[in-house]
Amino acid sequence: MAQIIVYGVITGAFYGLAAVGLSLVFGVMRHMNIAHGSFLMIGGFAAYWLFHLLKLDPFVSIPLVMAILFAIGAALYKGLFSHLDKLPEGLKINNSMLVGFGLTWVIDNLAIMFWTSDVRAVTPSYTGKVWHVLPGLRLPVVGLVIIGIASLVIFSLYLILTRTYFGKSVRATAQDRDAGNLMGINVERTYLIFFALSAALAGVAGVVAAVNYSVYPTVGFEWLLKAIIILVLAGFGKIGKVFAAGVLLGIIEGVSVYFVGATYREVVGLVIFILVLLRRST
Amino acid sequence: MLEVEQIDVYRGDIQILWSVSLAAQDGKITALLGSNAAGKTTLLTTISGLIKPLRGRIRLNGHPIDKHPVHKIVELGVSMVPEGRRLFPEMSVFENLELGAFTRKARETKDQMIEEVFGIFPILKTRKVQAAGTLSGGEQQMVAIARALMSQPKLLLIDELSLGLAPLIMQQISETIKQINLTRGLTIFIVEQNVFMTLEMADYGYILENGRIVGEGEAKKLLQSEEVKNAYLGIEEV
Amino acid sequence: MGYSKKGFVISGIAILLLILFPLVAGTQHTLNLFIVLFITVILAQSWNILGGYAGQISLGNAAFFGAGALSFHFLAWRGGLPLYLALPAGGLTAVILASFIGIPALRLRGVYFAIGTLAFAEALRITVGNLFPLTVYIPTVHIVSYNLLSRYYLALMVAVIAQGVAYFTIKSKIGLAMMAIRDDDEAADTSGVHLFKYKFVALVFSSFFSGLAGGIFAYYQDSIVPAFLFTPQWTFEPLVAAAVGGSGTLLGPMIGSVFLIILTELFALTLGKAYLIIFGAIFIFVVLFFPGGLIEASERIRKSIFG
Repeated sequence: MAQIIVYGVITGAFYGLAAVGLSLVFGVMRHMNIAHGSFLMIGGFAAYWLFHLLKLDPFVSIPLVMAILFAIGAALYKGLFSHLDKLPEGLKINNSMLVGFGLTWVIDNLAIMFWTSDVRAVTPSYTGKVWHVLPGLRLPVVGLVIIGIASLVIFSLYLILTRTYFGKSVRATAQDRDAGNLMGINVERTYLIFFALSAALAGVAGVVAAVNYSVYPTVGFEWLLKAIIILVLAGFGKIGKVFAAGVLLGIIEGVSVYFVGATYREVVGLVIFILVLLRRST
Repeated sequence: MLEVEQIDVYRGDIQILWSVSLAAQDGKITALLGSNAAGKTTLLTTISGLIKPLRGRIRLNGHPIDKHPVHKIVELGVSMVPEGRRLFPEMSVFENLELGAFTRKARETKDQMIEEVFGIFPILKTRKVQAAGTLSGGEQQMVAIARALMSQPKLLLIDELSLGLAPLIMQQISETIKQINLTRGLTIFIVEQNVFMTLEMADYGYILENGRIVGEGEAKKLLQSEEVKNAYLGIEEV
Repeated sequence: MGYSKKGFVISGIAILLLILFPLVAGTQHTLNLFIVLFITVILAQSWNILGGYAGQISLGNAAFFGAGALSFHFLAWRGGLPLYLALPAGGLTAVILASFIGIPALRLRGVYFAIGTLAFAEALRITVGNLFPLTVYIPTVHIVSYNLLSRYYLALMVAVIAQGVAYFTIKSKIGLAMMAIRDDDEAADTSGVHLFKYKFVALVFSSFFSGLAGGIFAYYQDSIVPAFLFTPQWTFEPLVAAAVGGSGTLLGPMIGSVFLIILTELFALTLGKAYLIIFGAIFIFVVLFFPGGLIEASERIRKSIFG
């Protein structure tokens, strides 16, 4: 059982990482970026190609992948999502959802066209390595790295949001956009940077996915569902809660596989999601 | 310092301001008075840059600013205390003040300014870490003013100071504002419904009615003029 | 809102043309194409009633399509029920399913309703995939007597019925209530519009016809992987077709579906998936700049030319 929990925590750390970008963008800018999953996929493929063409260790390639996704995210925001900023909240959420989802079609199918639907994974030399901590308790090295990266990312985000002027300006504009403008904050540019940042975060999650799981052009959709589940479980905005919800989901899924078998693993998460949604609405 | 020339401002398809012109002199307190839906807030919001006029010009020290984005106008030295305070409710008083000093220039003198505003509004020092949304109306107004001062503006715009404030607090605050104007020579443009108190504080005044300027003059003269007395002060003399 | 005579005449002519078409120029390929088109139109209009008119954007219509298809398969091919019973039964199954999830889900607002229905459809897909992993086939005895032409006319008939029901619903008080809910549900509520009732009516329409479309598909397609019936494409392609054509209009779903099928054909031989990329890009463009879709675009063009 302890082993299951360990794997659950590892998976959960990944889920939290995947969800945090989506949660932040929704919480601050009220954009439901369905294409977040596709950003993840691009990150995973970037790690794959960097590994195969340049022999770059995937975890070392993270900063580079982040930079690539940052650029892509910025371009997409400027070209598409920024047009939705002026809309009232309900419409903004709905339309950003639709735009994000149209983007998924475009990005995922471009990926199929260029990279084929084959499943890829990144397997550096240390992939199978495991720490035997106790009899019956194995800690995969990769898993530990993942937990480490996820924690580092979340913590850095926390620092940025609370200690830096940029972070404070983001939180402020989320609470009152006009007042933010009146402080001299360039709200459009802040949103641009923030959106690009969330894309970069998705990229990090993508690298992790490529190493620990696998990537193929349509994988984004599945991770997106996970991210949305966590978003609803955690509420949005507080990144600590997002991370915790991710870990919780990972553990619940792991434990439930024990009871209902691996084929229903995804269903467990989805059912919990629906139940939480319904309870929230009453 | 501030010149507004014949601006027409619309909200959607409806015209709110018709050919409005006024000026705020350096170092003076200029007031804009008028009844409820006259368009006073619209005017101030336009000056701040959140709305753009369809026609006309707005100049800051000769510089046209009517087409600038809001943050640029703030960088040029204009600061606003908005209607309803518009603090960042979930952030602490201290953080709200910090954000007032967001512009690059302001950040350099941030710590010094924080000390200064705590000097002007000592009670805020005790509320430093409290979430701004939990303060009383009067305290929130103080935070809003303090926040606007953090960037050491050349022009301070104040929108509806008295809204939701007890008269005693209102009195205190308006005296503080007068003080700020005297000690720093800060140009202030204030929009208000509370005619009496405002004209006592101001140097010059304009009257806005249905989106048009219908009168102007030195504050003391306006206080004594017949129309002003009949139209506004009758309601207030209790 | 009145009934336009001109509209009736044009529709009548169009239907006549579609009836006569296979007798004149029907090849197996074109018949197949049209059947897929009719199914898409039914699905697009189903989504449109719930999403474009009642304002409840559903991302889970695949669940109703799949339920209709699967129940048709079991009732007709395994259970021996005749076509005219099995098909409506399929639709009914979808409605029952919709009520089950809809009654709680309709209380959700906007984006939560969307992701809730999405999660539901996905959960169903995985469950079905686990329960029925094997491909299912139309029994041989029916394969022998398989008649493509009759399937064409069935699909056409259901599409016309769907369009007709949609038309009369929208023009009635029910349609008015739905649109009021879409535009401002709080205002509608305070004006006495019973929110839940009308949302539910829209859901029933949407699920019933999606279920019928599923039944037609099960009648038409000789081999199916059950889980495939519940994949998101059955939700999303009609959705995008309806939006591009013009959501919230009666003709939009039809126009969008035609557009989609044409694109699919154009790219079938060359870059296969490229049609999705182009369609996706158009969809984004429509959402951002032309919320009324192609219909709005053509209105604007007409106005700028004729004044």
